[in-house]
Amino acid sequence: MKIGFIGLGVMGNPMAQHLLKGGHAVSVWARREASAAEVIAAGATFRNSPTELAQHCEVVFTMITASSDVENVALGHGNDGGLIHGFARGSVLVDMSTIAPTMARKIAGHLAIRGVEFLDAPVSGGGMGAQNATLAIMAGGKAEVFARIKPLFDLMGKTVLHVGPTGAGQITKACNQMVMVAAIEAVAEAAHLAAANNVDFARVMGALQNGSAGSRVLDFFGDKMARRDFAAGIEARLHHKDYALIMDEAARAGAPLPISTQVWQQLNGLMALGWGKEDTSSLLRVLERYQN
Amino acid sequence: MNIGFIGLGLMGAPMARNLAKAGHALHVWSRRPQALAEIAKSPSYTVHDSAAAVAAASEIVFTMVADSPDVHQVILGENGVGEGGKPGLIVVDMSTIAPETAREVAAALFERGIDFLDAPVSGGEAGAINAQLTIMVGGEQHVFDRVKPLLDLLGKSVTLIGGSGAGQVAKACNQIITGVGVCAVAEAINFAHKTGVDAKSMREVLLGGFAASKILELHGQRMIERSFVPGFKAWMHQKDLRIVMDAAHAQHLSLPTAAAALQLYNGMVGSGRGEEDTTAMLKLFEQMSGVDLEAAQ
Repeated sequence: MKIGFIGLGVMGNPMAQHLLKGGHAVSVWARREASAAEVIAAGATFRNSPTELAQHCEVVFTMITASSDVENVALGHGNDGGLIHGFARGSVLVDMSTIAPTMARKIAGHLAIRGVEFLDAPVSGGGMGAQNATLAIMAGGKAEVFARIKPLFDLMGKTVLHVGPTGAGQITKACNQMVMVAAIEAVAEAAHLAAANNVDFARVMGALQNGSAGSRVLDFFGDKMARRDFAAGIEARLHHKDYALIMDEAARAGAPLPISTQVWQQLNGLMALGWGKEDTSSLLRVLERYQN
Repeated sequence: MNIGFIGLGLMGAPMARNLAKAGHALHVWSRRPQALAEIAKSPSYTVHDSAAAVAAASEIVFTMVADSPDVHQVILGENGVGEGGKPGLIVVDMSTIAPETAREVAAALFERGIDFLDAPVSGGEAGAINAQLTIMVGGEQHVFDRVKPLLDLLGKSVTLIGGSGAGQVAKACNQIITGVGVCAVAEAINFAHKTGVDAKSMREVLLGGFAASKILELHGQRMIERSFVPGFKAWMHQKDLRIVMDAAHAQHLSLPTAAAALQLYNGMVGSGRGEEDTTAMLKLFEQMSGVDLEAAQ
């Protein structure tokens, strides 16, 4: 199949590689051509603009950081035409970025007018999951479009699910982030309580891991906190960004999220303290600041 | 003086009336022309067909609309105040919007030689009717000095806080304190009720101590009387707290209490109480504490 890929960062680069290895013809575009060097060496073709890329592809994947960047690439911006001006009817845009559900719905609406299909399909699993093709992929959109794309998703991820209509993928990702980061905060608070009582948190972890409080977050982030290894991992600023989307959606829907909103404030504190590019386990260090 | 006024709602209509009473000629426009049907009968008002036309006929234009995008649209949009206003015009936005938007609008108007003040208010509909508003202003001193006599017709406490956006920052602080305050008073009244204490006596005794506040006095009174007619609608306070929290996110500020309050206002909107007064927060708390709402009425 003729596939396009835009967004060749820590996540996108290995994902595009998996599509190439699956025997597909992959076109790529990047603002800086140098960032596409690796996939080009592996057989991908560079295109000069999103519009040109879309002209050559049946399916285009995007994996980009911010809502506004996804919008610009998809719908165009100023003199940049955007994918929308190159797509033939019946082609598909699959956005795997984490963006606002409202933005996903907006892009889908614009594409639908031109007979172009859209899936929002954000992922969980990080750089490691992208590398090993073990991502969890949560897709929103039409069931028949999902069925068409499923074989491609299977090249990149292990848990691939259709969760509902357009936007449902992003809502699911928001739920994922809320549950995970709130759990990181809970682990940080446990570590903080243990330290305040002169109890060794590594031992606390050992006691908790196989009980009811055991979780992947406890294993991974608890271990980092116990070792005071705050190198990212996932850069905390990305979680901070997610919370703006989550809390905006909650306000729009009239849904109170009392715990998430407190986690959000701790992340604001983390950013203010200059740890945005370090791991989210730095939430422990935010708590420690209450004592200085 | 020829004065433009855009946004003749719950707050704007009585404010315009106070300006007209002092003998000024009012120039008005509304997105919904039928909203001006009554007003058009008064000789003090001239109805125009665009915000640009209002600006062209006025020395000073006041705007009092719902949210940041509305202000943006009315002032910088097509046929907006900015298009019709001649150099030397002063635009005074009294809406509650993001400080960021106020600064943007001020900068864009400055390029056209138009001065701008952000001048949000506190005091609600009653304050607007009785010209008892508190008005917090951001902008240049010389512009403030020119507008001050008009603001004195609308409010009793009119203060220049600082440069562009400073009025909105002060208003954001006001909304943190009042937004959280309403929740605190509702919690206290629910707590008193649930534990079998007369909320009326509780309020009276506390008004003599350190917990005394306007919110306990006025909102507390309305909660005890179970009078939930706005006043100030819950969805509007939700909007104001969203402005606060968005700014906090952008500035990397931890505001844990305001953040909690916003979630409660989300609950007001989500439970269908967005159009009620913020004092209906009491009903939300009762619902969450298993109070029989029918019996409580």
